Parts: sequence; structure tokens; C-alpha cells
Amino acid sequence: MFKNEEMEINLGPQHPSTHGVLRVKLRLDGETVTKCTPVIGYLHRGVEKICENKTFFQGQVWTDRMDYVASISNNLGWAEGVEKLFGIETPRRARYIRTMLTEQNRLASHLLWLATHALDIGAMTVFLYAFREREYLLDLFEAFCGARLTTTAFRIGGLREDLPPGFIKNAQAFQDRFLACIDEYEELLTENRIWKKRTVGVAKLNAEDCIALGVTGPVLRAAGVPYDIRKAFPSAAYAEMDFEIPTRTEADTYARYLVRLAEMRQSHRIIQQCIDGLPEGPVMAKIPKILKSEVNEVYHPIEAPKGELGYYFVAEKGGTMPYRMHVRAPSFVNLQALPKMTEGRLLADVIAAIGTLDVVLGEIDR
Amino acid sequence: MSFLRTLIPFDIIGGLTVTGRYFGKVFFSANRKKIRANLAHFTQEYPEVPVKLQPRFRGRLTLLKDEQGEIKCVCCLACEKICPTQVITIEKGKKEGRKMPFPVRYDFEMERCIFCEFCVESCGFDSIILNHQFELAGYNREDFSLGMDGLGHNMFEPSPVGRHSVAED
Repeated sequence: MFKNEEMEINLGPQHPSTHGVLRVKLRLDGETVTKCTPVIGYLHRGVEKICENKTFFQGQVWTDRMDYVASISNNLGWAEGVEKLFGIETPRRARYIRTMLTEQNRLASHLLWLATHALDIGAMTVFLYAFREREYLLDLFEAFCGARLTTTAFRIGGLREDLPPGFIKNAQAFQDRFLACIDEYEELLTENRIWKKRTVGVAKLNAEDCIALGVTGPVLRAAGVPYDIRKAFPSAAYAEMDFEIPTRTEADTYARYLVRLAEMRQSHRIIQQCIDGLPEGPVMAKIPKILKSEVNEVYHPIEAPKGELGYYFVAEKGGTMPYRMHVRAPSFVNLQALPKMTEGRLLADVIAAIGTLDVVLGEIDR
Repeated sequence: MSFLRTLIPFDIIGGLTVTGRYFGKVFFSANRKKIRANLAHFTQEYPEVPVKLQPRFRGRLTLLKDEQGEIKCVCCLACEKICPTQVITIEKGKKEGRKMPFPVRYDFEMERCIFCEFCVESCGFDSIILNHQFELAGYNREDFSLGMDGLGHNMFEPSPVGRHSVAED
């Protein structure tokens, strides 16, 4: 009379908790997931191919549109990658401002992650508070470069303009109240029993699996591996900054939440150091109007909020455009850990796993 | 002890305290404008209250004229070359009594514009700016092809597309 049958369902591409257009094919045995297959490509625009037909100056605008939540990090990777390719030295003040803005963008990205991840799991209050702080940061970006999301903040060789008047004052005002805000989020979530029931021990991924799958960022650090590009291959002004790499050993969703909150505190520390030690001087190096490359190839990794973001350029002789451009997108690599995290677990944990990986589909599909 | 902790939800009370604190702040200041200005109300009543934009905001591309009413553009084509999405098309021409070249046509296809401000940056004559317009939605495709005159809409004045603001209805 009763049949045992596995059922196949689609999660997405229009599901609100998949954060974009991620489609996950799930085979379910009751409520247990037996097979999980992420299907990507719904947002594919061919950014890498487009950038092969754009000059080194023009290509930056496409990096905004990959990880649109952390576009300043993407701009930093592009600008520094091209500078590495041509051997351009950036002025110290420009490097400090870049570091400050990148860290503020990391805060904005982590705040969006916290808000939506908590909302997916069922805690709605923190969404409103996290977005309030993010709004303030987006206003700062608007004051600096004129756009809130698709920033195009940096230029090859430095910055387009210096900081606008009043920027440091506003950034300091944010610094002064932000630590209290993190305490508020912690008060709402960290000890909350519902939050703990939904996150502790869910979507585990130990250090060996992380390394085997190439997972980077907070997911790797929550498994106990203190790997951070800002320390390992410091760029911008990170070598002059004093900060720690927060790690946990539990390797579950709750540990990743704690790691990201600790990272926000460290970012706050870096921004404070940038504001205090901001050197005087020019913000733009002298660069030729047309960049002509030699035969060369460069890989430049930076620490984006989601993990290792790498730009790989191949240049030909006399070319004004990259011969080949490849992006090692952190979300793309991290997403392949999803089957490992969810198979053999409950359907509700898939939502928590997608949230904890912090994927942005613009970056995965590119 | 753990039984007591299960019975009395301290964790949830802690969370509710945060919510309650903000509720109190907003509740007792909601109708008093002076206090309201001091408190950080982050939401804006957008269509009724105009949005305050930062000075560097990147809006719609606008051609500029100098004091004599002459178009400043001298057709150096720098903006056309730098534009990552090729939305600008300029046709060079001549005008009587003007030494510099004169743009006969300056077409701007706004539907493809990504508002990166590279064109303004490349311009050596300060003849274009991105203005502070952001209500750029239109009813049909022709609304987005802007030009000097004739074709489509005028690039000098504020966009006619922006007229259909929600606030006016």
C-alpha cells in the first residue's frame, strides 16, 4: 500500500533563500537529502570574455557587477592586478584609502550576510539593525565615488580623487558606534536558543575537506585553518596593519557566524588604524594614457569577504587589452562544498548551508 | 541550573530588551520633530521627501554650454573612446564663426549606460557632467535615446523622463 520512493525537487532558481538565481536539485528521502546538485549559470554574462575586448582601464566596471555586494574588493583586485602586470607603484596615501574602503566594504558585505542569513533561518529582527549600519556605509561609498553598489572606486595607479571633505569625520562617527552595534547583534543571536538549535552542528565541513575542495574565507577559518590572504600575501597597506585572524575549530554554521562577527571587529580595528595613520601626499601615480603590455602573466589574489578572490591576466606584446582574463571567484569555489555539507541531512539545513557559505550568484555565474 | 535556564528564557529576554529599547526610543519621540531630527531615523519617506544626494553622485550624462551659450564640446572623441559600453556617438562638423570643431550630433543611448563616469574623467574641456538625476525610468525605448536636439530628447535640460516622478502623482 505504501511505497518508498525518493523524490526530486528543485530549490530555486526563484527561491528567496538562495540569494539570487541558484538552483539546487535535491533528491529527498522523506525530509533527508540524499543527493544535492547545485545548478548554476542563470546569471552568466561572460565577464571574462568581455574583459578580453576591453582595455585595462575599461575592464574594471565589470568587476563591480560580479560580486555586487562587495564591489570595492573586486575593484581592488582588478586595480592591483593590473598594477602588478605593469609594475606600477601606488602612492602610500592611495593604498591607505584603498585599505580603509575595502574593509568598510567587508563590513557592508558581512552585514548583508548576517541580515539575510538570520532572516533565512527565522530571526527577523537582526535584519533591520544590520541594514541600518549598512545604509550608513553605502552613504560613505556614495560620498567617495558617487555610487552605492556599482562603485568603480579605484583607478589603475591610485584613486581618481582624494577623499571628499567630511569623509573622515563621518567614518569616525561610524567607528564610534559600530562596536556597540555588533554587541547588539550578539545579544540578539549568540545565546539565542532557537538560533543555536538551527546552527550548532549544522553543515559541518572539516579542515581536510575544506582544503581538498579549495574552500577559502570564513568557512576555512571556522574549520581551524588560519589562512588569510591579507596576512599570507599582503597587498594594499595590509602589511602595515595590526590585526588578528579569528579562527574556530567547530567547523559548523555557528562557528562561521562567530568567525564572521570576530572578523567584523578586526575590520573595525583596521579602519581605525587607517583613519589614525592616514599619510599625506598624492593619491595618483604617474601612468601613461595608453597602457601597452609586454608578454607577461600575473595572478593576484586578495581577501574578499567571501574568500580568496584572484585575478589572472595574460598579456601579449603591445596589447592594450588582456589576452586572457580569469577570475578565481570565492563563491564559485565555495559552492562546490554544498553537496558535502548537506547530503544525509535535513532539508531545512540546506537553507542554513547556502546562507553560511555566503554565495553571491553574480560572482558564481560571472 | 540548566533546568532553570530552560525554564526562564534569559536569552530571548536579552534579545527582546534590544528590540524594546529601540521601540521605546521611537515610540516616545515619534511625534516630536525636534527629537526626531536628533535621533537616527534611517528610513526616508522617499517620494514625498526628496532624497539628499552626495555631491559626487553619478546620474545622467549632460552636455554643458559656456557663458555665451556655445556648446563646450570640441569633438575630441575621448569620451566615445573610453566608454566601456559605447553609448556615445559623436559626429564632427563645423559651425560658422567657431574655430573649434562643433558636434553636429551627440547621441547618448541611456539604456546601455552604466554610470561609471569614465567619460567625464576623460574629458579635457569640462564639457560634460553626470548630473544628480536618478529617476530615469521611462515608458518606451525612445525615452532613452538622448541627443542634442531633434532625435529623441534633449541632453542639455533635465531629462524629461525624470518628470514622471512618483511625488507629483
